[in-house]
Amino acid sequence: MIYLDNGATSFHKPPQVYRAVADAMRTCGNPGRGGYREAMTAARKLFGCREQAAQLFSCSPEQVVLTNNCTHGLNIAIRSLVKPGGRVVISGFEHNAVTRPLHALKAQITAAGRDLFDWEDTLEAFEAALKKGADAAVFTHVSNVFGYILPVDQMAKLCRQYQIPFILDAAQSAGTLPLSMEQLGADFIAMPGHKGLLGPQGTGLLLCGAEGQPLLQGGTGSESRQQEMPDYLPDRLEPGTLNVPGFAGLREGLRYLNRVGTDAVYRREHDQLQRCIHGLKELGMKVFSGPHQSATVSFLPGMDCEEAAQFFADRGIALRAGLHCAPLAHESAGTLETGTVRVSFGYDCADGETYDFLRAASKLPRFSQ
Amino acid sequence: MKFYYITFRSVTHAQRGERALQREGVRCILLRTPKWMEQRGCGYSLRLWTDQVYPVLKILQAGKVPLGKVYRQGADGQLEEWNFDLS
Repeated sequence: MIYLDNGATSFHKPPQVYRAVADAMRTCGNPGRGGYREAMTAARKLFGCREQAAQLFSCSPEQVVLTNNCTHGLNIAIRSLVKPGGRVVISGFEHNAVTRPLHALKAQITAAGRDLFDWEDTLEAFEAALKKGADAAVFTHVSNVFGYILPVDQMAKLCRQYQIPFILDAAQSAGTLPLSMEQLGADFIAMPGHKGLLGPQGTGLLLCGAEGQPLLQGGTGSESRQQEMPDYLPDRLEPGTLNVPGFAGLREGLRYLNRVGTDAVYRREHDQLQRCIHGLKELGMKVFSGPHQSATVSFLPGMDCEEAAQFFADRGIALRAGLHCAPLAHESAGTLETGTVRVSFGYDCADGETYDFLRAASKLPRFSQ
Repeated sequence: MKFYYITFRSVTHAQRGERALQREGVRCILLRTPKWMEQRGCGYSLRLWTDQVYPVLKILQAGKVPLGKVYRQGADGQLEEWNFDLS
């Protein structure tokens, strides 16, 4: 299989990730619940995961809250900052993981900056919206549909300038682009463990720069006589037994990234992206490309996008079509009705795979949409 | 040498403390806090033997590790809470 759906999950992990998951299943008890060897082994694996994340994202280990996925982290963060009916500024490229929790809170949402790959538009619209006042801002680092890298450093600076707390959705950037909690000064940064961080599915991280409100209450293995959740991190936001095998695997994914560096990952992915964009354009496809683009590209195949994706699937090529759980981003780009086909590269992508994909693309039957 | 318990509210805090001490070559053992020491119920401690506990506590303070209480072995060999001042 040629795997070009890393925006959904990274399919190939470094071998040590698989080994760590299997090892944890054989050796780990319940972390933070006992002093015997197996419980302590589990606790050490979780702490190792926090340490690796803290190193990669420049924060302290207890600021690293272990979640089920990025959506889980975003929900905690949003519920912590946004009251029902509150005013929130978001970018024009948000995923449903952001917009649905806001919708459930009946938040007054301003989607600021709708022009793809246009930092000037993004920043002007974002500042104009912040000026009107907001309880919080939530924005993605990279559009999951188009790979547009938003100017998050400047957006963070604007939030600080207008004293508006903010949440960064790093679903598509963590592990691929440099990201520093310390530099950004975010209240929360949410990310999945299973995409660019190369861990197993069912893992995510929420980096906390502010006090979070628990989504769930329950046992933490600490201060058990108290009926309130602990008031300190990470216990406050981690009730119940954690996915120890998953985080043991994620620790190895993070360790790999700390060793090779995100710059190396980005360069490899970006090389493939450029080849892909060039090839698709040569085939006459409508390709959404521009400056500030990560390792993801969307295109219109000249036929129904889902049928096109199936055409590729039948030839052993995995990619994703449709709305990618991000109707707002498609609306911004004018592709809400058609959807797009998305190609997203990963850390282990190779020249041959891109050429094979382009060869298959050249054989796409052209139906009218 | 005296025998000390340093308690923490969270296993993660205790692990950070353990790591900070390890980096400075201080040997300690991470274990569950004895029930009688932990009024809030359930926690983790670092157990260590030393003649100089203040430098140990200073390492933890420098590492911004949130500390709980400190217990030390008294003259009668029993552990007792020890009030410390790091200011």
